[in-house]
Amino acid sequence: MGHNILYIEDNHDNMMLVQRALEARGYRLLKGFNGLSGLEIAEREDVDLILLDINLPDIDGYEVARRLRSSTKPTLAHIPIIAITANALKGDAEKALEAGCDVYMSKPINIRELWARVEAFVPMP
Amino acid sequence: MPNIPTFTPSLTSMNPSYLTHLECSGCGKQYSHHEVHTFCPDCQSPLLARYDLKKARLKVDRDEVTRRKKGMWRWRELLPVLDPENEIFLGEGDTPLLSLPRLEKELGLSNLYVKDESSNPTGTFKARGLGAAISKAKELGVEKVIIPTAGNAGGAMAAYAARAGIKAHIFMPKDTPFANIEESRMAGAEVVLVDGLISDAAGMAGEKARAEGWFDVSTFKEPYRVEGKKVMGYELAEAFDWALPEVIIYPTGGGTGLVGMWKAFAELEELGWLKNTKRPRMVSVQAEGCAPVVKAFEKNATFCDFWLNAQTIASGLRVPKSFADHLILQDIYDSEGTAIAVSDESITESQKQLARMEGIFAAPEGAATLAALKELIKQGWVRPEERIILFNTGSGLKYLDHLG
Repeated sequence: MGHNILYIEDNHDNMMLVQRALEARGYRLLKGFNGLSGLEIAEREDVDLILLDINLPDIDGYEVARRLRSSTKPTLAHIPIIAITANALKGDAEKALEAGCDVYMSKPINIRELWARVEAFVPMP
Repeated sequence: MPNIPTFTPSLTSMNPSYLTHLECSGCGKQYSHHEVHTFCPDCQSPLLARYDLKKARLKVDRDEVTRRKKGMWRWRELLPVLDPENEIFLGEGDTPLLSLPRLEKELGLSNLYVKDESSNPTGTFKARGLGAAISKAKELGVEKVIIPTAGNAGGAMAAYAARAGIKAHIFMPKDTPFANIEESRMAGAEVVLVDGLISDAAGMAGEKARAEGWFDVSTFKEPYRVEGKKVMGYELAEAFDWALPEVIIYPTGGGTGLVGMWKAFAELEELGWLKNTKRPRMVSVQAEGCAPVVKAFEKNATFCDFWLNAQTIASGLRVPKSFADHLILQDIYDSEGTAIAVSDESITESQKQLARMEGIFAAPEGAATLAALKELIKQGWVRPEERIILFNTGSGLKYLDHLG
């Protein structure tokens, strides 16, 4: 049971696109529209995987990843985190992995790739 | 009087393109070719141009196309521009297919060739794709275009945009070869130098495109560059009297050429123009310092992982992840091909070898194909009698500042 995917992303278009794609595969999407609300949801809910935008309006995705990894909630230390960003500035991918993300994806988000990457961690319900 | 390339419409040039629609390579959704499109908004995969090939098969005479005036647009029935008036021609296409007799002997082969793309306008194969994309953009009424580039695509876009009267904006890494920066500026483009790789430039250009409403001509983020590139496949088929060669060794950054040629072979097959139905084995060549396709191929994966800390002297191969990675991989698998990474040292050595033995001053990306061939011979992956095509994608003259 439990195929909850948390997407931390401030862009509503991307949120809708990913919601449509993942719900089509039977996943339930939890939405965090900034870094801090995303962290709060991760602490509160049972989450199986986190999709994490790097460019967020409050704290950036690297900081979110670091806080998730150092959380007192045991599951968050190992939860799969897929970093997603459009603004791939120099070293962004490297920084995302150093911060604790497992995989790095660049926007535009190819939906088939998203499915494949999510299913590699959380089998389709 | 100098022989200046000009486009002179002939009776046959008035034939329309057989373009019917655009199709998403991921979900198959169709889009109108009369509107400006980037990539599929639903699944965010590249769009590909589709043609009424059944009708073209009945109406287009292969041998008549062969007799036309040289250049990419002689294939206009199979290209996306509807009105020949919109074709921006600078002399692209019909590059030489050269035999390599001294290298053949050295390597123990009997049918080795190079398709030398350095004679294209702006000195590289990028002219084909950008020629097609800018021509179509003009037809669709686009006024401003933007591109992230490792260098050569920027120079090509600037040239075609200048001729089309379209304003060009270019984002390129700050260590891009000087020739690319200057040729772009000379053609009137606005050039922004980015502290990073082409993926960084792509992120910034994408943001700017969204903010300003400029048309983004990034690799595979619009449907028409691949159409220009596919003509390399048509030309190869024609050069081999419509019996495709056994092996094509191609340097892979964004992968437009590889995907384009594979598309061309499928189209030629549907047109009934080929004498053999056995398609070439496609070899994707990357640099050891940036080899996402090779890594994915070795894992039999469908997509590439983003390559970290990408580094190579072959700037065109410094693409940490292509937007069309799944198409590149699929085509390699379908062709029973392979993917191979070569070192910068072997690229440099091969660049010298091509120049000293055959008089071809190749771009490092082109030299990488010779480096890969030597490795494939060692592995026994190619047979001595096979017809093997190397692709030199550009002139070494555009990389002089990298030679030290």
